Amino acid sequence: MFIYDTLMPINMLSSQEKELIPENWYNVVPDLPEQLPPPIDNEAERSSIELLNRILPKEVLRQEFTFQRYMKIPDDIREIYEQIGRPTPLVRARGLEQFLDYSGKIYFKYEGATVTGSHKINTAIPQAIYAAKEGVQKVVTETGAGQWGTATSVAASFAGIKAKIFMVRISYQQKPLRKKIMELYGGTVSPSPSDETRFGRNLLKDNPDHPGSLGIGIGEAVEYALDHDLRYLVGSVFNSVLTHQSIIGLETEKQLEIAGEEPDVLIGCVGGGSNFGGFSFPLIKKFKEVEVIASTAAEVPKFSHGEYKYDYVDTARILPSVKMYSLGADFVPEKIYAGGLRYHGAAPSLSMLVKTGRVATRDEDENHVIQALKIFSKTQGIVAAPESGHALASAIDYVRKHKHEKKTVVVNVSGHGLLDLSIFRDDK
Amino acid sequence: MNRKTIFYFTSSYPTHEQLLKFISSVDGEVVKYVELGLPSMNPLYDGPSIRKTHSDALRNFHFSHLAEYGSILTRKGVRPYLLAYYNDFAQRGERMLDDLADAGFAGLLIPDLLIDHADVAQSIIASVQKKLEFIPFFNPATPDAIVSRISGMTRSWVYYGLQPSTGIEIPYDLAEVSSRIRELLPSREVNFGFGIRNLDQVREIMSLGSDGVAIGTMIIPMLTGHDLEAFLKFQHELGEVAVA
Repeated sequence: MFIYDTLMPINMLSSQEKELIPENWYNVVPDLPEQLPPPIDNEAERSSIELLNRILPKEVLRQEFTFQRYMKIPDDIREIYEQIGRPTPLVRARGLEQFLDYSGKIYFKYEGATVTGSHKINTAIPQAIYAAKEGVQKVVTETGAGQWGTATSVAASFAGIKAKIFMVRISYQQKPLRKKIMELYGGTVSPSPSDETRFGRNLLKDNPDHPGSLGIGIGEAVEYALDHDLRYLVGSVFNSVLTHQSIIGLETEKQLEIAGEEPDVLIGCVGGGSNFGGFSFPLIKKFKEVEVIASTAAEVPKFSHGEYKYDYVDTARILPSVKMYSLGADFVPEKIYAGGLRYHGAAPSLSMLVKTGRVATRDEDENHVIQALKIFSKTQGIVAAPESGHALASAIDYVRKHKHEKKTVVVNVSGHGLLDLSIFRDDK
Repeated sequence: MNRKTIFYFTSSYPTHEQLLKFISSVDGEVVKYVELGLPSMNPLYDGPSIRKTHSDALRNFHFSHLAEYGSILTRKGVRPYLLAYYNDFAQRGERMLDDLADAGFAGLLIPDLLIDHADVAQSIIASVQKKLEFIPFFNPATPDAIVSRISGMTRSWVYYGLQPSTGIEIPYDLAEVSSRIRELLPSREVNFGFGIRNLDQVREIMSLGSDGVAIGTMIIPMLTGHDLEAFLKFQHELGEVAVA
């Protein structure tokens, strides 16, 4: 039986230390090993890239195409980061180390400590603030598991504007509490596919029980934004989003420095790649030799079974295509427990780092993930999000295989799973 | 000499005869280089306007046209360059380099080489440079290490595409993207292009340290409308901006 050792020195590097919040976001593009392929248009006669002017907040678009290595975080946004729980803690996982009888060290960065319980708020805030400053009254987006929709709803509320969320239908049905939270924050939620867009109506005509997917949700949200002259907030994949999320890795870098540690291994989970990129890219820049592992769902095996190619970001084929690992924009993943990972592609910058071999990948199956979540909750007291469970499963696996090496493993736990307890049904 | 302008024409657009008229009207006091686009089935990094010129030009194009354009331009003291997407270049093979050199072309620009064909870039650059200048094409997303490596392998001027596609309008921080390339290549001739929309923008780009400005999409309506007069007027205005 596992018994918690209470004789612990400093273990939690947190928190209420606002100087740990970086002054700049970091954009990996100027430091990639190869040229990042630009987005391309989907049709000969019109420019999908230019259409972004009517879809994204202007400042987000400017950041997307300026490729500044370091970009100052505006003071008002930095203040809101403090309000929502940044810096998030970096915790020495003593309990997990003991349980695994590990000779090295395990740290986890805990993005579940933000007010919405995941990393998603790190980019929702700047995007909503930029939209509001441009005079936009309402923003629209999609959500898979619900974390992104929750973050968008809160960020819109902070910015004094409204939010409309298309929630992947299977999650909408399985997670009524997520819908409730988004509504509590002022968001309006529709199941996707919905009858509110042409794209959604067509899909429902063919299959009234369509479970939806992130790609479909993005397509509906973008169409809705265009039809109603709103602005769309991007949850992942786009370079500007990964740049906003770099706050995770930049804080971790300072926290590791305080702890006197250098990481040997970085592990995170990948849906579209934003928490993973945000966490790992600043650390890859600093620690040239660090081993990096991206963990995905075996049911959505984009890296192991996908192709590195130009593909559509959204199933409606409205946004420009990007070069990425993809299972195809029409891929409808299984109705898995980790809605945030049900996306067919991955961010172009991350895809390139996988292609060049800088980032290794692992596919984790449901049973393995659930076991990892159980171990983590018992040893660290944290019920991590099912998505984060993939990173934990890969980390536990790694530690077991390298049990006698004194490595420092740092895992990004992208969110908590307190609203996802149904995955433990049937006593799994 | 204060020539700062680079014109881009898609070869044989709108017709060979019409383009000959425009090329014959190029002012050697204003224009330093002319890029001629090899018509492509898949001009991936061009916007809708230039893409349309490619699909139209494919019907008219003959390789011998390039020699005619090259001959007129070199007589004016304007250096002609060919812009070819990698697959079109690879299809014709290295014999194209001899043909271009014979036609008076100064160099070759392959916009997708570093992006989609990085694995062969080094050998392609080496073989081009046996016959012609190789013009590196960078953009704000080009990593610092690639800018340094490719610049070190080449001796020519550099083409810096300001945005992901030609002829479209997206917001980006011009001062920021300009300063980055100038810091990386302080003593190299760097000419800016992609998405330049008006003379005010040309002025701004020149003030930010560009050695020249490539204009393509802006002159397409003049070509399409066979409006040589508008072209001459525009060229004159550009000359005044560049001199100022």
